[in-house]
Amino acid sequence: MKTLLTFILALSATSVVTAQTFIQGIVTDTKGEALPGVNVFIEDTYDGTSSDGNGNFNFTTTEKGEKTLVVSMIGFHPSAKTINCDGTKQQHSFVLKEKIDQLNAVTITAGAMEASDVKKAVVMKPLDIVTTSGAMGDVIGALTKLPGTSTVGNDGRLFVRGGDASETNIYFDGLQVGNAYGSTASNVPTRSRFNPNLFKGSFFSTGGYSAEFGQALSSALVLNSIDMPLRNQTDLSLMSIGGDFTQTLVGERNSVTASGAFMNLAPYQSIISQNMDFEKAPSSWQAEILGRQKVGKSGLLKAFYHTEHAKVSVNQEQPGTDEVLTTSINNNYNFGNINYKQALDNGWSYYGGVSASFNQDNIGINGTQFKLTNTLNHIKGVIVKDFSDRLSVKNGLELYHSTYKEKNETSQQERSFNENTYNHFIESDYYLSKNLVFRAGLRSTYNTLLEKIWATPRASLAYKSGENSQVSFAYGQFKQLAKPEIRIQKNDLGNSESSHFILNYLYSKKGRTFRTEAFYKSYENLIRYDSASSRNLYGLNNNGSGYAQGFDFFYRDNKSLRETDFWITYSFTDSERNLNNFESKVTPGYAPKHNASVVMKRFIQALNSQLGFSYSWNSGYNYHNPNMAGEMQSTTRDYNNLSISWSYLPMPNLIIHFECSNVLGYKNEFGYQYATQPNAQGQFESLPIQQVADRFLFLGIFWTISKDKNANQLNNL
Amino acid sequence: MKKTVLTFAILIIVVTSSIAEIINPYEKAMKAQLALLDSAQTIQEYQAVANSFERIAQKESNEWLPLYYAAYSYINIGFDKSLTLDQKDTYFNKAEELLKKAETLSANNSEITALRGYAVMAKLAADPASRGQSLSPVAMQLFGKAIQQNGKNPRALYLMAQMEYGMAQFFGSGTEKACSMAKKSVFLYENESIEGINPYWGAEMAKEMTTKCK
Repeated sequence: MKTLLTFILALSATSVVTAQTFIQGIVTDTKGEALPGVNVFIEDTYDGTSSDGNGNFNFTTTEKGEKTLVVSMIGFHPSAKTINCDGTKQQHSFVLKEKIDQLNAVTITAGAMEASDVKKAVVMKPLDIVTTSGAMGDVIGALTKLPGTSTVGNDGRLFVRGGDASETNIYFDGLQVGNAYGSTASNVPTRSRFNPNLFKGSFFSTGGYSAEFGQALSSALVLNSIDMPLRNQTDLSLMSIGGDFTQTLVGERNSVTASGAFMNLAPYQSIISQNMDFEKAPSSWQAEILGRQKVGKSGLLKAFYHTEHAKVSVNQEQPGTDEVLTTSINNNYNFGNINYKQALDNGWSYYGGVSASFNQDNIGINGTQFKLTNTLNHIKGVIVKDFSDRLSVKNGLELYHSTYKEKNETSQQERSFNENTYNHFIESDYYLSKNLVFRAGLRSTYNTLLEKIWATPRASLAYKSGENSQVSFAYGQFKQLAKPEIRIQKNDLGNSESSHFILNYLYSKKGRTFRTEAFYKSYENLIRYDSASSRNLYGLNNNGSGYAQGFDFFYRDNKSLRETDFWITYSFTDSERNLNNFESKVTPGYAPKHNASVVMKRFIQALNSQLGFSYSWNSGYNYHNPNMAGEMQSTTRDYNNLSISWSYLPMPNLIIHFECSNVLGYKNEFGYQYATQPNAQGQFESLPIQQVADRFLFLGIFWTISKDKNANQLNNL
Repeated sequence: MKKTVLTFAILIIVVTSSIAEIINPYEKAMKAQLALLDSAQTIQEYQAVANSFERIAQKESNEWLPLYYAAYSYINIGFDKSLTLDQKDTYFNKAEELLKKAETLSANNSEITALRGYAVMAKLAADPASRGQSLSPVAMQLFGKAIQQNGKNPRALYLMAQMEYGMAQFFGSGTEKACSMAKKSVFLYENESIEGINPYWGAEMAKEMTTKCK
């Protein structure tokens, strides 16, 4: 009995008599500051402790022999060393190096505006596209309320910093979209083709952008589709101009969103008078499907297809004659995109895909029929290697195949060309510290039509100048070939070139963002011609040059006023270039000098409503008046547009949305069209280029049906 | 004789408990840390307990609970008002990372799903003006999934009730649904065992919410 007791007592007391190793030390960061709360432990045991307020730690262990002592702390690289647990008292000190991650590292913001829900320096949120008054649910409509852009009301496309609309390329999940805007008659504004609800975010660059993108002199807009929707749901919308049905099905590892929509402005135009004589009001139907499949641990495969058919016919008076120009357009459009991304171990990741765009316009101009066909295929593969949290390198290959054909169906004449371009880009980000980052890139291209090879360098850096502020700088060279409609007339036209210099300052503190940017762009080898007649340009050459310079301000605040989010922007653009067949350098019509906008949204709980307004102003558009000496010497009156919107939520899954653009009915003009020949008095007669209608009214009902009772329209506000 | 019986009895107790400790030091360590977690108030206290759970997690690489509690501790740190938004996000991201790992050890676990939702809710609360619209559906979806995985998980129910309550206030509609969920969660909390090492937190918050409902 006694022996048993002794034995058991001895057994339970083993730990007491075992020799213990006493470990103590201190943990500091690279600046020598003590780190409190660091986890210090012997690997694969429970033995360990946390460092105290002075970075000191001590603990004992009963382990024996060689063991690994690990120190780890959130935000720092862990450190480890082998120790010998020999029952002695030991001293171990550690210096931890701070991790550089998305949260604490400076990001390059020169020329870049990212729409993201998570980033702190919010210039734009993904939802802004749907909720900005006056944007009318068009991605581009919302972007024109941001710094560096100008509203060109008779065009509808994106004009960035003195560049024309063709200088901006649009990408869908990294792959280029051909003919991203709907086809339209001249002076009838267009819209971008894709439903804004498809996207979770976007990256909009007003210059100096990454080597990943090329063949765009001014700007790149990258739209990223939603990876995985949350639930099965049906969305129905009924609008004053059409309807839309969307079904989303979500599985464990895959999902699909399919939608069909139609739009017809005829009923609307029969009630509300238009300034333009539409023979056939714009109408269209479209279908879209987006599928996603998770692959393995981190792979995601997405496939998207969009098809669209649109029609419009408009009669336009011509100055100086009684003649009416009738333009009718029949557009067929298809876009497909398959892409894949995956993160591998050891810092490797890759992404890439294939996209195909097909656009066909059947255009009738006073009875003469033209058929224009564009195709663009884009194949891209990119490998990214993060060597550490400080250095990453991106390496990509791209192949573009494009064709363009135009045919005069009345005279049966046709012409066409096609080309391949092979591109390689390499870009590296290097963080000297979390406060300073450098980026350098090079894009190289070989074009089969020109049989030429060229390279364009890009570089940028960003420095965190304070807790909430940063400065960044971007430089880049950009080349772009002329539009296919021009190059088909002279195949060997070379690249136009632009160099960008951008300096950016950003201050951002919880709910408030201030951003200012100054830029200079040079333009070389711009396209010029000697004379024009109908679609033909004579004496085409690459001898043009020019510049654009200016600055902009942006302030956004969702903090100061209760339940209110607002932003204010101002952009100054000074731009001159050799344009078309002008002798001197002139300011183009699409580059107003002063641009400003104010956007505000406020949720009023008592009304279950979100009210919003946006006000855009610019100092007028330049135009050429042949009755006066000089070139492009005249400017229209100021542009003004006050838009209001009201979203009413009677229940969580229903929104009734009302919107009115240009409420005050301001008679905006975008320039003047002059007769080609002077009249008997020697004067060129003119007609103003006006808005299609003084106001645009929109009423829509959006209804979400889901078994999941939590589905609601809140995220559409 | 009496003495022998007593000695023997004591002996048995000593033996069994020390054998239990030898057999299951894991539970012992977990219980010790859970007691500390219950009393933690400051960032330092929560950090220390999170470190302890992480130490247990690296030793017991098949157990999800140490990861779960480490994540829970980090979420609690993130609520501290003295932190900047970036610092808060660092802790919430850490919590989400730990929970992701926990999910690989225990799939379809209602507690893990609910805590993931709680991390999203905490991120939302850190900057509601900017994040409310985008994150509230995500949080609600996770709570919904957690309830689906286990309808008797009081935490999933209570957290969902919180979201529903906020939503009802936002829309100016009745809070009956939210309140009945909160009441049901209180009932479930009352029937929950707080003895073992399984999650049992939240009962007081749920009770407090039901008083708001009256």
